[in-house]
Amino acid sequence: MADAQPIQGRGVAARVEAVLSHPVVFSLVFAFALGWVIVYLTGNDPGFAYREMYDGAITGSGLRNTLGRAVPIVGMALAVSVAFRAGVINLGGEGQMVMGGLAGSLVAIYTPGPGEIVIPLAMIVGGLTGALWAMLPAFGQTRLRLPILITSLLLNYVARAVTGYLVRFHFLDDSVTLTSTQQVPQTARMPRLPVFGGVSLSLVLVILAVAVAWVVYRRTVAGYETQMAGFNGRFARYGGIQVERQTVGVMVVAGAIGGVIGTHMIIGDAYRFIDGELVVSGLAWTGLLVALLAANYPPMILVAGLLFSGLQIGGLAMQRNADVSWRLAQVLQALVIVAVASRLAFDLFRRRRRGPTSGELESAGVGEV
Amino acid sequence: MTAALEFRGVTKRFPDVLANDAVDMTVRAGEIHAVVGENGAGKTTLMSILFGLLPADAGHILVNGEPARYASALDAIRAGLGMVHQAFRLFPTLTVADNVVFREEPTRSGLVDRSESIRQVRDVANRYGLAVDPTEVVENLPVGVLQRVEILKALYRDAQILILDEPTAVLTPQERDKLFEVIRLLRDSGRTILFITHKLGEVMALSDRITVLRDGRSVAHLVTAETSPEEIARHMTGREVDLDRRAPKHSPGQAVLAVSDLGATGEHGRLAVHEASLEVRSGEIVGIAGVAGNGQSELIEVIAGLRAADSGSVHLNGVDITHAEVSARRSSGMAYVPEDRHGVGTSHRASVWANLLMSHQRGPAFQRRGWFNLRAVRKHARSLISAYDIRTGPIGSPVSTLSGGNLQKVVVAREISHGAPLLIAEQPTRGLDIAAIEFIHSRLIQFRNDGGAVLMVSAELSEILALSTRILVMFEGRIVVELDPAQVTEADVGVYMTGAHQEHPDG
Repeated sequence: MADAQPIQGRGVAARVEAVLSHPVVFSLVFAFALGWVIVYLTGNDPGFAYREMYDGAITGSGLRNTLGRAVPIVGMALAVSVAFRAGVINLGGEGQMVMGGLAGSLVAIYTPGPGEIVIPLAMIVGGLTGALWAMLPAFGQTRLRLPILITSLLLNYVARAVTGYLVRFHFLDDSVTLTSTQQVPQTARMPRLPVFGGVSLSLVLVILAVAVAWVVYRRTVAGYETQMAGFNGRFARYGGIQVERQTVGVMVVAGAIGGVIGTHMIIGDAYRFIDGELVVSGLAWTGLLVALLAANYPPMILVAGLLFSGLQIGGLAMQRNADVSWRLAQVLQALVIVAVASRLAFDLFRRRRRGPTSGELESAGVGEV
Repeated sequence: MTAALEFRGVTKRFPDVLANDAVDMTVRAGEIHAVVGENGAGKTTLMSILFGLLPADAGHILVNGEPARYASALDAIRAGLGMVHQAFRLFPTLTVADNVVFREEPTRSGLVDRSESIRQVRDVANRYGLAVDPTEVVENLPVGVLQRVEILKALYRDAQILILDEPTAVLTPQERDKLFEVIRLLRDSGRTILFITHKLGEVMALSDRITVLRDGRSVAHLVTAETSPEEIARHMTGREVDLDRRAPKHSPGQAVLAVSDLGATGEHGRLAVHEASLEVRSGEIVGIAGVAGNGQSELIEVIAGLRAADSGSVHLNGVDITHAEVSARRSSGMAYVPEDRHGVGTSHRASVWANLLMSHQRGPAFQRRGWFNLRAVRKHARSLISAYDIRTGPIGSPVSTLSGGNLQKVVVAREISHGAPLLIAEQPTRGLDIAAIEFIHSRLIQFRNDGGAVLMVSAELSEILALSTRILVMFEGRIVVELDPAQVTEADVGVYMTGAHQEHPDG
């Protein structure tokens, strides 16, 4: 968990130090400082570029776009963290999102009826499809000992190919030049709320999902057992937790979230399933970075998801107005993660120099003399 | 006679603890000097400072009258110090000779001269009566021999001062006696031996003089011939300790655990358990003795449900649990204190309460329909912490902050509090200090007196003899004999542990 370290002493300096030494704050400061140097070296004004990025992310339509982009980023981060927290390395978020997205949007396109029925139905079918897709690598691991890490990643390519085939040969909209399905009819589109210039109802759903995850993590047996398996699988097995069954359950939940997010991306955002678009956007991978930064801690997933979303939206504005490539936003994202990783390594290093506690010595396998 | 080693006011402070507090110690040349103290008394730190691995905050160390300021262990070795670690540091796939001469290889025209290194190693081995074949590959050797290889490494580098860190922890009584002979021989050849241990019997049997450490301070300097185990124990713990406690007889009742003709495969497809049969009744402690690696761990893993049985059956309270899930075994009445308390018995990243909750989390007292009653969970954790005197910070702090003894108390408290009829206790006190050992033993005895059945595995023969109602000895995967602790000595058990009683050992 990314809880702040206890603040020792009451001085302002101690408080400032404690805040700055928090891994997340540290990595943000580090990333933006290094980004400043990079922009400067390209011959641009870093202050101006950052101001444009900031303005672009939160003013005018920027705020709506930031909140809109946050929906898939936070959602996919949640999907990743549900699995990672339980020690299940699910890298198949993209495939789960794409499969669920196509299934959900087909329901939305072809099911007649009022939105109140079609929209939830599309989300449910999208979620179920994502869940089923995620069960493939799950059973591969529990039955055949194929690591989820590998199979879930490779199944992303399969998902991309399968959806591409289905769109091209079975559900193609001939009236446009895109490789795309028909448009989602007006009635089956995710409603927008009359706030922040019209954000999708999905934003509320995603925030709710994060809140539910937080409560489940803290208050339920399932939350406890998944966390323990993530900490130490042998300990979990020893304590009677059925780790294999749990792995399948966790993958089902992660896949379902991915499928629902995929469906949202079509019925709440793009309104047509365009082959490859969900993949090119890299949303599943941005979600993974957010989950890493947030260390699977739900409130932090929300914060970090909004931040990365703002970076991406602001980055486009920066390119428009300050002529600095929006790729800088990607560089900053990557730097944040590098900083988190190195900060953790640094912590470990510092603990070594200080001399480890006896508990740490023992857990490192060093016997007491 | 000059002192081989002199520690003068050596002090080392870590942020949370004063590990060494003005330690004074004089080791005379040519003596066997025992350093005794409980875990956390500062023995590790003191040796780390001597070997240049940690800087001292104050004080100094003299080696043969010269101030010792080593930048690394290599400097210390060059100055004539040799250390035999508890965990062996050998290359398993290389020969004994290759291991011994490593970094000091004899060469001929720039190439390693292997026949010369074999000759030299054999020379050194013969001179000190260390029976080792230099051409053997290390991974094929038993632990007793590995230790001799470690000693050879130090002697090959002509170490004049030899430090042995808990050298008997992995040995059978027979191997231990052989080691003691070697150590005496080394002393008689003029070397100085520093012997680190917490076993009082060994201190009395082997050493010439003793330094006792407690809470980082050197609290007593004793001459072995003029002291007693009780006096040493008093200095170690700072209070009176009753060393001669044997569990009183108790009449066993119903069979709780019945294992028959159990077979199981270990790592690398090796047959680890052969046709093992045993029974544990309520109100008794059955102790399994054996040299590590003779199938005890695998036997327990099969009973606990962490390893598959190939043949035979396991019944708990009359229910066949041979192929049951761990959770089913636990709910039929099994509690388990595992051998590896760090890797299996706890999660160092989880909090104290989360560790105390494991295996209780689905109990009706703690949850309803999957939702925790957090108040009950916390109350359970707090009551165990106070009942077992677990020294810990807030219950939300990670268990990695606990000492070894307190960590083991977390495991023992959690498992005993199930109130299960069967408790499996594997190496329940390994590596713990006297106070923690006493405490855990008293809890095991109380559990037995309350009608519990205990299956205990221990490498510590004194523990087996002190607690067991019956002793089973395992050798090469078989239970070779059942012994009555009242009728046998450690040496008797040791004979069975090495398989020496067998006319046709089927190795």
